[in-house]
Amino acid sequence: MSIPLLICDDSAMARKQVKRAIPDGWDVDITLATNGVEGIEAIRSGKGEMVFLDLTMPELDGYGVLQKVKEEGHKSIIIVISADIQPEARERVMGLGALDFVKKPIDGKKLTEVLNKYGLL
Amino acid sequence: MSEQLALTEDQRDCLQEVVNVAMGQAGDSLARFLEVFIHLSVPRIRLVAKDDLGTELEGLVGGVGSKVSGVSQGFYHIEDGKGIRGEAIVVFNDTSFKELADLLAYDEELTDAAEKELLMDVTNVLNGACLNGIGEQIETELAYSPPTILGQHVPIADLLEHEKLSWGHALLVEISYTLEDRSFNCTMFLLMPGESILVMKEELDKLLEDL
Repeated sequence: MSIPLLICDDSAMARKQVKRAIPDGWDVDITLATNGVEGIEAIRSGKGEMVFLDLTMPELDGYGVLQKVKEEGHKSIIIVISADIQPEARERVMGLGALDFVKKPIDGKKLTEVLNKYGLL
Repeated sequence: MSEQLALTEDQRDCLQEVVNVAMGQAGDSLARFLEVFIHLSVPRIRLVAKDDLGTELEGLVGGVGSKVSGVSQGFYHIEDGKGIRGEAIVVFNDTSFKELADLLAYDEELTDAAEKELLMDVTNVLNGACLNGIGEQIETELAYSPPTILGQHVPIADLLEHEKLSWGHALLVEISYTLEDRSFNCTMFLLMPGESILVMKEELDKLLEDL
């Protein structure tokens, strides 16, 4: 059965880049969200078992989404994909329950490596 | 002319993401320099007419009458004069200097000269990382001229008065760097005049085609 994968990023270009970076043959059912509010709604309705999450977004940012996921107890596996490469940004998202952090612009090899590392492929 | 210069929705989105990545690199450099966490927000992009620049900037930086200091640094395509060019302008609210001096453990009295030095330091940190970040993504090597002080403790509209001489419309990109729990706030503006926008639009189209 395909895994419900949510890509949450305010940039259409970034969403396309992430989509393109998804490993060939990975059986996922993709939902797109353009800000954190849409993202959390998609997660609530079961569309985000896996989430690729941006940090800098309008309405509700990535930190806000992680916070809400934690509060509401969703079991989503969240990988943050962000241009905010400050070491503290990484620490903060890991502290909020993210599985890992991948920097932008996204590198397909790197994403595959991270997914493999956690046995997600 | 302004219709030709206006970005399509795809181009605007693409530029915003390019700037977002560059902002992340610049934010990281500033965070390391000041040893703090920098809060980043979504960059804002708009096409402004010469006569509206002052009002736009007042709206972005904190209203009529608030006093700022600013540094400008020209950037241009390294090979010829026909490519992307513009100004990278770093603006500080007057309240930010004390915070900045404090963060950098700067003991001396905050004279205009000392503030100038702080401004130049931060400008170098931010502009280098940001312009390299943009250049890398559009595969254009950007060179930059030495930074110059635009003004100290002046209303924002006055700060850029002389920037407006050579263009009718310009693309204004606003990137804001904020510190948590402190009143430090620094804004970077990229101002790209007329012809340069057309070149930028071509570069963005190339990126979009590659998607």
